[in-house]
Amino acid sequence: MTYNEAATLLHAYIDGQLDSAKALEIEAQIAENPSVRGACEKLRQMSVAIREEADYYVAPDWLEARVRAAIPAGPAWRAWLKPAGSFLAIGDWLRPAASYAAVAFVTWVVALGAMRPGEDEHITQDVLASHVRATLSTRFYDVASSDQHTVKPWLSARLAFSPPVADLSKSGFELVGGRLDYIGAQPVAVLVYKRRQHVIDVFVWPVEAPKAEQTLTRDGFNIEHFAKSGMGYWLVSDLSRNELNDLAQLIGEYSAGP
Amino acid sequence: MTGIPMLASQSLQLQEAHPEPSHLLSGGRKRRFEQQVLPHFAAAYNLARWLTRNDHDAQDVVQEAFLRAYRFFDGLRGEAKPWLLAIVRNACFTWMQANRPVEVVAFDDGIVDTVPADDDGPEAQAARSFDRRMLNEAIAGLPLPFREVLILRELEDLSYKEIARVADVPIGTVMSRLARARRLLAASLRDASNISGTQERT
Repeated sequence: MTYNEAATLLHAYIDGQLDSAKALEIEAQIAENPSVRGACEKLRQMSVAIREEADYYVAPDWLEARVRAAIPAGPAWRAWLKPAGSFLAIGDWLRPAASYAAVAFVTWVVALGAMRPGEDEHITQDVLASHVRATLSTRFYDVASSDQHTVKPWLSARLAFSPPVADLSKSGFELVGGRLDYIGAQPVAVLVYKRRQHVIDVFVWPVEAPKAEQTLTRDGFNIEHFAKSGMGYWLVSDLSRNELNDLAQLIGEYSAGP
Repeated sequence: MTGIPMLASQSLQLQEAHPEPSHLLSGGRKRRFEQQVLPHFAAAYNLARWLTRNDHDAQDVVQEAFLRAYRFFDGLRGEAKPWLLAIVRNACFTWMQANRPVEVVAFDDGIVDTVPADDDGPEAQAARSFDRRMLNEAIAGLPLPFREVLILRELEDLSYKEIARVADVPIGTVMSRLARARRLLAASLRDASNISGTQERT
């Protein structure tokens, strides 16, 4: 055993990772050689110091909540719809009737998905939470720019769609940046506008069927929803309802095309 | 920061109040994922935070890693913790390759160590002359391949075999990297305590 090998084995020894034959060999060396004993002692001290004093980073609570909330989304669907293995996930009890049940289930779920009343509420909560989180962390955007030609390509490069980004500074809504978030089981674009000291988040993602326009107030925040040219928009801000409605109009006009 | 726990609990309630229809289909899978994988959320975040050295990046990487973990959950064999940490680790590397490629350079384990294997003097003297901040900075300053094995061993208490699985290297490499990680750390702490000692004197 060379000195270097022995030194490396000493690490494995203090980590309790040696088989008993090798461990005995090392223990014999420790017993007869004070410098090996000293080295072993130092290694143990360092290990203890790291375990006791190195930072163990703790995630903010919202992160685990967000991870949990994201679990049943898209991936589970896709995994289930794949033919192989998916029936196993349902459980043995279903296997005999699997083919009938699967067809029935899918039909039923698609129908449910289309008319489920809770979905809008879910999205409302998600966009509001995203806005409040951004406010609390004062991290409003991932890309900071008042230039629509900077923000749009930045978002397009990271999403499967390209959101319309309007420069509305002439109307008193200053574009300050954009960020990404995960709403309703998909990555979405968030455009960040400012009016006086109010920050307005505009969430954008493609929608198949436009839903009715909505104006809501939650926890003191105003929320506007509309869809235009295949894109759904959710605006969230502490800005007054009328001003938020103005912004919705402007974005709607812009999205409809020049 | 008082608002954040409130938000977290809100979105949890929300999930219960409006179950996705897919719960009914993949309920068993989701429940198994929650029971086997989610208990290691703290470890996942701690590893991502140590590898990326940045709160925001760690948050993004962890979210991405859990989505991947759920997608590949059917491939889980054996212990969930090293399996999840391997996904987190790969997500970190992918992220850093895209954003900070300098840190993720190809690493040659054959390069001869420039740090003396072990000698009695300075390490022993430096043994307790460092404080918590110096220790954390010294670990954060280790090159990625060493930082990774050290965190997995000392903070996550993984066996060499498990570390080999997470870092995707042979066990012998885990052993030699860990030994070098500790030597580098000792050398770095020695330098740091020398500097702070000098500053105190002047």
